[in-house]
Amino acid sequence: MSEQTIEATGADVEAAIAAGLDRLQVDRDAVEIEVLDHGKRGVLGLGARDARVRLTLKPQAMEPEEEEEPPAAEVEQAEVEVAEEEQEQPPEQPQQPPAPAPAPAEEEAEVARGVLLELLSLLGLSEARVKVTLPEPGANQKESPLMLEISGPGADELIGRRGDTLAALQHITRLIVGREVDGWVHLVVDADGFKARRAQSLRKMALRLAEQAVRTGRTVVMEPMPPNERRVIHVTLRDNPDVTTESIGEGEHRKVTIIPR
Amino acid sequence: MASMKELVEFIAKSLVDDPSQVYVSEIEGENSVILELRVGPEDMGRVIGKGGRTINAIRKLVRVIAAKQGKRVTLEVV
Repeated sequence: MSEQTIEATGADVEAAIAAGLDRLQVDRDAVEIEVLDHGKRGVLGLGARDARVRLTLKPQAMEPEEEEEPPAAEVEQAEVEVAEEEQEQPPEQPQQPPAPAPAPAEEEAEVARGVLLELLSLLGLSEARVKVTLPEPGANQKESPLMLEISGPGADELIGRRGDTLAALQHITRLIVGREVDGWVHLVVDADGFKARRAQSLRKMALRLAEQAVRTGRTVVMEPMPPNERRVIHVTLRDNPDVTTESIGEGEHRKVTIIPR
Repeated sequence: MASMKELVEFIAKSLVDDPSQVYVSEIEGENSVILELRVGPEDMGRVIGKGGRTINAIRKLVRVIAAKQGKRVTLEVV
């Protein structure tokens, strides 16, 4: 079967992967991704070079098994949005000599903690503490990421408006850790329990708005939210028989709609 | 006191392929600070990020320090 491996190109690695997945008509989970060329952005399109990737269908993907519900699609989307150009390969990578062996979780956690502590110290928060929780072995990375929780003096200064400073800190931490361990690490940075509290209030809001959607028979459109927060809504209402959820809009403006069935 | 310049330098040097070409200059005004970040031409994309996401994240973090000093900060890649 010659279609098991294809090469695709795009403006960046993510675009190339998306193009390849589109051609194969499969999900990201169904393929091994090998980055052949990261490409170059160039300046104003000058000197730009397309990124190239090689996608190889995993064996189990040959049998069609599709479970396409909106939440699942959204989770996929969320992952792509956070992935950026640093992502190189899915975490498990059987027998691929050129790919570096994935660093053990403990090692990644130690690197991540060190990077975050360094950033905190440079931010003038050298007294802040970082508690690390390792992902559950064998668990889905989305369900069980590497957690880095900041507490202590000044932790609240890192949240920002709607958690945007925290999101920035997480983005930079991910990029630096990704470079140090030579691979994508799914890590979450929280400060002062902000994300945990936010998730709790989002769940309550989701339930209340779902009720409202059913009562009025109208679609409820929520405020724009980042991917991780939209995911909380989708997951909360996934098993609700009376509504479905869907995200609309692009980028910063993407928001969840709750639709009565 | 935390230094905005050092923070930007650390982040930029950690992200680029050629840290030796990373320079940050700091121009201080009374109520404002202008930071200029220079990196090698090959590394521009790495510090800017897709859609400016990375440079915007660095700006957010620099603002944590600036806020404590009661200053406005501008960070540009030049």
